[in-house]
Amino acid sequence: MPKTVNVNVHHVTRIEGHGNIVVNATNGKVEKVQWQVPEAPRFFEAMVRGRSYQDIQTVVSRICGICSITHSLTATKAVENAMGIEMSEQTDKVRILMHYSEQLQSHVLHVGYLVAPDLFGFPSVVPLAAKAPDVVKAVIRLHRLGNEWSDLLAGRTTHPVTLVPGGLTKVPTAQQLIELRGRLEACVPDLVAVAQAVLSVAGSIPAFTRETEYISLRQDSPPAYTFYHGEIASTDCDGTVAVNDWKTVTNEYVSDQSTAKWTKWHRDSYAVGALARFNNNGQHLLPLAKDVAKMFGLQKGCCNPFMNSVAQLAEAVHVVEASKILIDELLTKGLKEEKVRVSPKAGKGSGCVEAPRGILFHEYEFDRRGNCVGADICIPTGQNHANIQKDFEKFVPEILSEGEDAVRLKLEMLVRAYDPCVSCSTHMLNVQFVR
Amino acid sequence: MKNPVVVLGLGNPLMADEGIGVYLIERLTKLAPEYPNVDFVDAGTGGLSVLHVIEGRRKAIVIDCAFMDEEPGVIRRFTPHDVRSAKVLAHQSLHEADLLHILNLAKQLDQAPEQVVIFGIQPEQVVPSTGLSAALLTRMNTYLSQILCELHA
Repeated sequence: MPKTVNVNVHHVTRIEGHGNIVVNATNGKVEKVQWQVPEAPRFFEAMVRGRSYQDIQTVVSRICGICSITHSLTATKAVENAMGIEMSEQTDKVRILMHYSEQLQSHVLHVGYLVAPDLFGFPSVVPLAAKAPDVVKAVIRLHRLGNEWSDLLAGRTTHPVTLVPGGLTKVPTAQQLIELRGRLEACVPDLVAVAQAVLSVAGSIPAFTRETEYISLRQDSPPAYTFYHGEIASTDCDGTVAVNDWKTVTNEYVSDQSTAKWTKWHRDSYAVGALARFNNNGQHLLPLAKDVAKMFGLQKGCCNPFMNSVAQLAEAVHVVEASKILIDELLTKGLKEEKVRVSPKAGKGSGCVEAPRGILFHEYEFDRRGNCVGADICIPTGQNHANIQKDFEKFVPEILSEGEDAVRLKLEMLVRAYDPCVSCSTHMLNVQFVR
Repeated sequence: MKNPVVVLGLGNPLMADEGIGVYLIERLTKLAPEYPNVDFVDAGTGGLSVLHVIEGRRKAIVIDCAFMDEEPGVIRRFTPHDVRSAKVLAHQSLHEADLLHILNLAKQLDQAPEQVVIFGIQPEQVVPSTGLSAALLTRMNTYLSQILCELHA
């Protein structure tokens, strides 16, 4: 056993606050294990105050380029909830279809771009693309499909423009949906190929487990694998909590080791994300998605956080299958332009949607003219921080004997498995001229 | 149908000068009718989505905020071969992105345009705020004419 293990994965920069991993152990005794998150304060909440209810979803879409549709949808739902605005069935279905496009692109990219290099033993996707071009190209094709699907329904790939309180500014044509359905049908072999490729290296997925509370949306009426409707559910209790009461679930608190707030409900921590959704709703996955879960031996009750990536693969298949059904329903009913008429009024309401990386809450309060007077946003990664810390505390003693490099890699893999959203507000270049 | 040339504006307009690419694309989009063979795209902070926007193009012109060790407001035109990234990627999440890394991947996948030109603009401040700082705001017309020159090249 190595006498001393010191891991300090330090990624703090002034603007792009990634999490730091700190482990100190001497003579096999763990002295310090910390997941430190220097996340930026929630300045977006301040930015929407004073703005019209019509502009909120546009501003919050810039919180994150990967989950921009989810943020916009959550904000729109919260505004509609605050003002008592009802949705048409068509709007509801098109929005869910739009949301599925983001799930597909985020999940395939996370598994293909960040997780697969670990499992295949490469430092990043670039060398993986050289060694296994077919797999990477399948991932990129699926990501492109997700992008173009978002373009069609959200008006563009990121930062959607078609969503407005009360409806949509643009409805797809029947022909566009028929073409999309054809492309969804055609992408299934790529999905299966990516799943098979990951399965071929699944032996590299660490066999770590820790009893965990998993929280996600759950839809009981009608029962369905939900990302959009339903109430808040936990694997630790039977009932559900209404979306407007989300703060009784998150119980945010300040941790010494993070500027991001942490959360807890029935235990010291809880997890959100694909594995949480699977553990609460797995029985409602569509058949092909169930087959993918079965390929990897993923079963409800799984408490291995590394299996979150497998749950994402199953969900990627599920959203494609579910979208084909949604398109058929929309085509059967016939698509029509719907006028959006909303009269602003004072009110307070919350919205909740499952982002690819877990349950997301937005809450807004408006004055009688529809101007925002208060905002609160609780992102999924913030809800996972305490759980990552608890995983570290159990995992490190189990792997300490493997040495410093292995501890570092496995802890990085664990963080990646949560698909965190720790820095999404800036992406600027930082270059040195070489000629 | 994609046009052979694409101009992409990257960045976040809620982070002050970091959003310069998006602010410039807004202005350029108004001139789009004069450039029928060019697509102008607000790519925001979409990360790898850039791969698909540039695929199949002859030329991609990217406008982005860039730390280049220059005075605030300075614009520099360069190609990916002229620079190396000084950015350390944590590989923790999809939410970090490095344009040069994405361009490298595009090349690896054989889907990079023949020509990639980057206009980097040195920020004065990157903080939570809407709007640009004076050093950039007063140079908007200079930036636009330089980018339009590139379109006529």
